[in-house]
Amino acid sequence: MTAHFQNFDEFLAAVDRDGAVGETRARAEATMSRRGLFGLTFAGAGATLLARAPVAAAAGLPAPDLDILNYALVLEYLQASFYTEAERSGALHGRTAEAARVVGATERAHVKAFLHLLGSKAVKRPTFNFQGTTEQQRPFLKTAVAFEDLAVAAYKGQAPKLRSNAVLAAAVGIHSVEARHAAWMRQLFGITPAVNAFDRPSSRASINRIVTSTRFIVAKPRMKARTKPEFTG
Amino acid sequence: MRPADSVATSLEDSSSRRALLAGAGVAGTLAAIPILRRLFRLGEANASPSQAQDIRILQLVLQLEYTQVAFYEQALRDANLEGELRDFADIALGHERQHLAAIRKALGAKAGPKPTFDFGPRTKSPEAFVKAAIDLEDTAVAAYNGQATNLTKATLAAAAEIVSVEARHAAWVRAVAGQVAAPDPVDEPITAAQAARGLRLIGLKAQ
Repeated sequence: MTAHFQNFDEFLAAVDRDGAVGETRARAEATMSRRGLFGLTFAGAGATLLARAPVAAAAGLPAPDLDILNYALVLEYLQASFYTEAERSGALHGRTAEAARVVGATERAHVKAFLHLLGSKAVKRPTFNFQGTTEQQRPFLKTAVAFEDLAVAAYKGQAPKLRSNAVLAAAVGIHSVEARHAAWMRQLFGITPAVNAFDRPSSRASINRIVTSTRFIVAKPRMKARTKPEFTG
Repeated sequence: MRPADSVATSLEDSSSRRALLAGAGVAGTLAAIPILRRLFRLGEANASPSQAQDIRILQLVLQLEYTQVAFYEQALRDANLEGELRDFADIALGHERQHLAAIRKALGAKAGPKPTFDFGPRTKSPEAFVKAAIDLEDTAVAAYNGQATNLTKATLAAAAEIVSVEARHAAWVRAVAGQVAAPDPVDEPITAAQAARGLRLIGLKAQ
């Protein structure tokens, strides 16, 4: 059974079974009043502190940034799962297979980075159903183009809203990589990799609508097994 | 002192970051990514954003866009580009001209005149062109990214519309050349000084 959500926020609330997002918001808001202290800590030993204690780092970030990071994490989950599934399907060949391998590894690294950063505040990975698009090369490429263009527009829409310089520096470094992926997938698909001189941002509401329309995100894991069980009793 | 130098001096910070053109090039390994440590080190605050600082940064970006326009113009004339590589250069030139116009407009009377260039062999053959185009586009991406935390939010939003197009160019020309088009999991920024040095290495001479 699948459920479709009106928007990403609703979706986030649905996957937030242990209340991680709500808790994050509450804690982060409480932290805001002590921002001076956290700011100092962060500016000082920030990098080392973060690498070793992601939860503390997440708690030191402004609430709106945590919210945006979780939003980005869902988009990264979506991409990482898509490429991983496509790679495992064995349906890709030639340069497309190579691109899927490289881009997949990058998207998984992005997920890992956000999980590390958000610690216990991270939303959980949803269950996806890519509707067969990972099982044939052309539908795979078409979907990859859509995902990458979407990610570029999504990061661009959120970047100016970030308050933490640290998070902003990370976000822009990922934003341009998504643009490289978009161009690469477009080139492989046979369409112009860079259409306009200016790439426009997309609002969260607009991204939500598009992702929702794909029906790639399902509320619950599929009950039907993908492959035959090894042991049938 | 050249304009790029003065901009660079005013914006230079002390952290040592990968000099994109100085040697390393683009690392191809995706394994073992200490991604967060690096990313967060990059967020160390520089000077607080202000309109005056936006203008200094836009003057650097202006040099960058002038260089790109001149580079693609010369290459289309002299590098014997054919097929998809020519299509790429044609389209990229069109984009860079629009970027240049937008930045000149934003700077108004503060926009400096067109510098002079000597691209040497870089615009004389398809092979040299590919290598230089990758260097130039990667430099553009890293330079824009490097200034993200220094810009006011309004200018950041405008710059973000340009940087991803430069990133698309960088990936496109790599793909045409049969290379891995997006070799790094994250684009590391460069400082204004590193950007200015990169432009001079490619062929920016003087005003």
